[in-house]
Amino acid sequence: MQIVNNIIYIFIVYLLASQSFSLIYYSARFFHIAHAATLTFAAYFTFLFSRQLSCPVWLAVPLAVGWAAGVGMLAEIALYRPLRRRGASAMVLMIASLGLYVVLQNVISMVWGDDTKSVRTGEIRVGREFFGAYITDIQITTIVVCVGLFVGCVVLMKYSRIGRNIRAVASNPELSNIVGIDSDRVILWAFGIGSGLVAAAGILIAFDTDMRPTMGFSWLLYGVVAMIIGGVGSNWGLVGGALLLATAQHLAAYYIGSQWMDAVAYVILILFLMARPLGFSGKRLKKIEI
Amino acid sequence: MEYLLHLLILVGIYVMLSQSLNLSAGFGGMISLAHAGFYGVGAYAGALLAVHYQVPFLVAVPAAMVLSGVLALVVATIALRTIDDYFIICTLGIQVVVFSLMNNWMSLTRGPLGIPGIPGISLFGVEVGSKWAFLLLTLVFVAAIFLFLKKLTGSSFGRVLRALSEDEIFTQSLGKNVYLSKVIAFTAGAMLAAIPGVLYAHYISYIDPTSFTIDESIFILSIVIIGGMRNLWGSVIAAAFLVFLPEILRFVGMPNAIAANMRQIIYGGILIAMMFRYSKGFETHHTKTA
Repeated sequence: MQIVNNIIYIFIVYLLASQSFSLIYYSARFFHIAHAATLTFAAYFTFLFSRQLSCPVWLAVPLAVGWAAGVGMLAEIALYRPLRRRGASAMVLMIASLGLYVVLQNVISMVWGDDTKSVRTGEIRVGREFFGAYITDIQITTIVVCVGLFVGCVVLMKYSRIGRNIRAVASNPELSNIVGIDSDRVILWAFGIGSGLVAAAGILIAFDTDMRPTMGFSWLLYGVVAMIIGGVGSNWGLVGGALLLATAQHLAAYYIGSQWMDAVAYVILILFLMARPLGFSGKRLKKIEI
Repeated sequence: MEYLLHLLILVGIYVMLSQSLNLSAGFGGMISLAHAGFYGVGAYAGALLAVHYQVPFLVAVPAAMVLSGVLALVVATIALRTIDDYFIICTLGIQVVVFSLMNNWMSLTRGPLGIPGIPGISLFGVEVGSKWAFLLLTLVFVAAIFLFLKKLTGSSFGRVLRALSEDEIFTQSLGKNVYLSKVIAFTAGAMLAAIPGVLYAHYISYIDPTSFTIDESIFILSIVIIGGMRNLWGSVIAAAFLVFLPEILRFVGMPNAIAANMRQIIYGGILIAMMFRYSKGFETHHTKTA
């Protein structure tokens, strides 16, 4: 029973991580690696506000989410937008993003140090018993919040003006510009929403398992794996991808040992890339653009 | 003086690593984040052969190269079904799997405990004991790899690589086997990366998986990009610059703890700046080669 419980918890966190990442990938069409730093920043901002500036938690969390969303939007304005205007390809944007990730992660290490920081209050409790398995309060909160954010985001994408614009830009940026949608603005919105979502995920993870400056990268990559399995722009695909990843990892942990969880995730990724070599771009060979 | 020699040896190792990556990433257009994995495979192969079987250095080097090459061949046939940003993601996955094997295959690699007591190198009965001798040996290998790559990239094979990194379909139309050329270039790059691996293992006399992480891969890629794609001398200069950078920072009075982070912030920043230069693509900026 405990394993089912863990799978559900991890699945929900993966779902939020991959949704936040795919929202950005969906509109801007490149791998925003520095997204991992946004996740870490959110956790450290919570630490900053709640511990170092001793704000109450109900105030610290929204502040941290806001600031982390600001980090994501700043990256878009200051880095990706100028690069896009110069005609950068998805690969160039990805490497720039890799550089940005290195910079941001080291800024975090420099400001807060490399050791583990905690925002948890009180001592660690065993958790509640729930159908013969244990689950902590924070994990229950995480599941509720993540499901809420996921559904909220799906509704937002489907019915709101911003959501419709994001989908328009994702399907055809030039055409959207022609009908009067400012694609840069829309991508900025996508960065804001995506960064806010991953910030929520980062804070919830920090409350569950504390924080280190390098924590973001593996969560980001799990999100990417779930997105590649599920497909970009498909919400049910993300659900399926996150569920498959969480289940496979926990079954592997159960049968061959938990140290192989990472390897399993990437073996799945590589298998999916083999089956669908170019993800969603549909290109098979590199061709010069004129 | 001893410390300066130590740094020069490290520069030599990074020159070899970045030049071997330059073959696949620069000339072949296959930007890989798995290079530290091949470096690690070389180091582990060299270390295990020396510790368990007392294999002499000059036998261990080709053995490590073959092992790394076989792995690269498998990786290449899988990963080269993808291009550009998906290729990077795929190699990132492979890097994590290789790291995971080094870190968790306890019976072979002793996991995080690492392999201690790797003997020094003796060539034809002469012990390479002092730092001076080791530096000389490193330089011999650096020169050998440099000349080999210079020759290879100047040959007709080098021209095929350059052509396919610009336009694969056009290259194919000339009757060149694009896929095979890419597999060869990738495998050759990985085999060359095994050489600095063996040298490093013997030099430090202790290896553990933390030397071969994804961060190391990012670092090697940064050297290649900062030095300039397809620019072999550029890789030499960039490797020297990045290895000496923390010393320069310490020299201007930066504390030790900050200097390490500052180095990463600086190279991340340069990486971002380089992307502005390369924003039209890596191919359109023809640097002089060969």
